[in-house]
Amino acid sequence: MTAQEIVTRIQQKLQTLGIAWRTQTVDTFKAGAPETDVTGIATTGMATFDVLRRAVAAGRNFVITHEPTFYNHQDQTTDLEKDPTYQAKQQFIEQNKLIIFRFHDHAHALQPDPLVAGSARMLGWTNYASPTEPRIYILPATTLRELAVDVAAKLRGKAIRVAGDPDMKVTRVALGPGYGVPALTPSIDVAVGGEAAESGGNVEYILDAAAEGQKKGVILLGHMMSEDWGMKEVADWLRLLMPEVTVEWIPAGEPFGASR
Amino acid sequence: MAATAASLLAAANLRAQRGPAARSNQRSLGTGTVTAQQVADRIHSSLGVEWRPQSVDGFKAGDPATVVTGIATTVLATTDVLRRAAAAGQNLVITQEPLYYAPNEDAGNRAKDPVYLAKKAVIDEHHLIVFRFTEHWNARQPNEPAKALAAALRWTSPVPDSPQTYRILETTLQGLAGQVRSRLPIRGGLRMIGQPGLRVRTVYLAPGTTSLGMAVTSLQKADAILAGEPREWEAIPYTLDTWSSDRGKGLISIGRMVSEGPGMAACAAWIHSLVPEVRVESIPVTDPYWSVNT
Repeated sequence: MTAQEIVTRIQQKLQTLGIAWRTQTVDTFKAGAPETDVTGIATTGMATFDVLRRAVAAGRNFVITHEPTFYNHQDQTTDLEKDPTYQAKQQFIEQNKLIIFRFHDHAHALQPDPLVAGSARMLGWTNYASPTEPRIYILPATTLRELAVDVAAKLRGKAIRVAGDPDMKVTRVALGPGYGVPALTPSIDVAVGGEAAESGGNVEYILDAAAEGQKKGVILLGHMMSEDWGMKEVADWLRLLMPEVTVEWIPAGEPFGASR
Repeated sequence: MAATAASLLAAANLRAQRGPAARSNQRSLGTGTVTAQQVADRIHSSLGVEWRPQSVDGFKAGDPATVVTGIATTVLATTDVLRRAAAAGQNLVITQEPLYYAPNEDAGNRAKDPVYLAKKAVIDEHHLIVFRFTEHWNARQPNEPAKALAAALRWTSPVPDSPQTYRILETTLQGLAGQVRSRLPIRGGLRMIGQPGLRVRTVYLAPGTTSLGMAVTSLQKADAILAGEPREWEAIPYTLDTWSSDRGKGLISIGRMVSEGPGMAACAAWIHSLVPEVRVESIPVTDPYWSVNT
């Protein structure tokens, strides 16, 4: 199968699920020739240089990435043409005849959103999903500190940041993907997601709620510690969709920390 | 203390009749002769940067005609900061970040939220005026928040022709992280990308938003970036790939609030130079994050 045929099959499958392919979308080919025969698919949270090297070593020439390849949402490269990091990555892509496709907008459109389901599965929360409220998980009573320790251990995240009283009681948690950290409300104890603007609402809300004696918390996993796992769900989905192609999940992994 | 604008105006008129000597004696009472609008006007005219017609900066709460009794600058006007300002007799709060949880100050779904309503009530009760000052403070050259951050880090050697870049005593990326941790009020917000043993001699300071463009440009010369808030699909993977492509580079992210703290302390001094009539103080906001990893 060619990369284009694989994308067409994805689009057809989405059509049967009632998800029309958008005309305005970042889900496009970012590198390589779509008519190339695919030797294997690698799905990943982000097509970093390191992921591309691992894909080549594993013989997967088609990389399906959730986040950008070239460091901005639209993958615009005009301003990067003379940049040595961009040039090195582009040269590696060309030398190894890699094809890169982004699967972002339409991945989030799937029900359930694999990017949320993937985190929930890693965290062991799948069975705690609220039957009526999307993205809400009703956990056995714990504290913010215990929850954060558990989350860090399960994801092996090295740079997880927490705001809020460590001793606050937690049961109702809202889980969002990547930059989509759910907004805290009176009915949510803790919001969990990837990354957020610090002037984006939750941190200020936690500080202001504390001033009124209300306890709220947020756990920021980091973008990859939030969404990498979802691309494993996507790999499983693609495997069923095209059993004739080898599909492997190559996680981008935790970018932060003293070692990798 | 809840003084109405009208009563303060009356007090100001009385003092104006008494002359400047009497006015300086009145300073300790926390009253002044300048309105919040006049403070804004002085900021506009002294800024050295044209005021933008479309801007998030400006008055966000309170009546600009109110006479200012004192000024507090802060990175973030939390309910706690507002209460502390009111208790200190500072009725004008100048904040770098939004008041109501969103850049456009639209409380949205939080409009009926008790946390939002309590904050609004504190502002109303104490007749506070809140002025946001971020785009224009950041636009001054050389960049004020970066200059203040360097001073807080005790870095004194700017690299010529490389704005916001400083030469430091040679260290490693890990050593830089330790230095930053010891000199800034950091709890759990510090995160690092790069080889811990990376040799670092020059550092680019990017408090607040750390864009891709800043990373691309600065890493041509600097060994590392000290970042406020880099996006994890922009400057973060760029630095990661730069590391992977054997250009040894690193990034240390300390968060928006910690990175902007020294800048808002410097802002207090600058505002005081424009408004000598009243006391101007900065109210620090500490690192909101803690970590289970450190």
